[in-house]
Amino acid sequence: MMILVVGGSGSGKSSYSEKTAVSLAQAGMKKYYLATMQIFDDEGKKKVDRHRNLRKGKGFLTIEQPTGIFGALEKMETGERAVLLECISNLTANEMFSEEKAKTKMQVMEDIICDIKLLKEQTTHFVVVSNNIFEDGVSYDEATTEYIQAMGKINQELAALADQVVEVVAGIPVIIK
Amino acid sequence: MKLVIGGTAQGKLEYVLLKYDLQKNNVWDGVLPNDIERKEKFVIINHFHQWVKSRMISGGCPEDEIMSFLDCNEDCIIICDEIGNGIVPIDPFEREYRERMGRILVQLAKRAVEVERIICGIGQKIK
Repeated sequence: MMILVVGGSGSGKSSYSEKTAVSLAQAGMKKYYLATMQIFDDEGKKKVDRHRNLRKGKGFLTIEQPTGIFGALEKMETGERAVLLECISNLTANEMFSEEKAKTKMQVMEDIICDIKLLKEQTTHFVVVSNNIFEDGVSYDEATTEYIQAMGKINQELAALADQVVEVVAGIPVIIK
Repeated sequence: MKLVIGGTAQGKLEYVLLKYDLQKNNVWDGVLPNDIERKEKFVIINHFHQWVKSRMISGGCPEDEIMSFLDCNEDCIIICDEIGNGIVPIDPFEREYRERMGRILVQLAKRAVEVERIICGIGQKIK
């Protein structure tokens, strides 16, 4: 089963996604957390620490995979597994902006969607977290606009792949699909 | 407490006034009523996000302050913009504001007897 979870900043989407992944994973099933955030400063470190604390005691094995998300597969043991990927917005930003030779919007979209499709096939349960970055009404520079468009397209494709799509609003799950 | 959220300019206040047959003089705009005021009539707090921001600027703790307020004033309506559905701002204060505002809403939603999200003037009951 694949579930796509979306929400804004501080919406409670991480907490909801973890609970969902834990409840989907039957006893003995390996639980993996695919972390995509790159740490550049104190603020980033605090964010990561906060998430680590949230996950504590829930039995997740963390795999750091800021780019090339399919690469996480070879770091997992074979067999039944529940995988939580957090999150598409960092992954997309990393793929678009932080590599030496940044990829085009088109390449990034194609690569991420292809990787997620493959991961979906290779996992028993797959919870993917993405961000609702689309509703602030601000006109941004070209690079940011490209990023927003790529994220919009990726979210649509992931929603089509997913068995269930949930928007988390003020901590409340609203089922969209 | 009932919580009403939604994007800006979605008709949240009009929705609340009409639904509960209340008047503009029940509305506190971006502020909390004081101890005397809150006993006089039913309280709607509008633009709650502006209050949160102003408390942050003054170095207050909006998380605790709103919970203390609710402890002695549980029967009220809080109206708040959803501000977290955009690109993460470059400005550190704006980033912190969005994050804290979101988490305060999660706490308020937990405490609320009802949560409605207003889109195009239409209420969607999500709790």
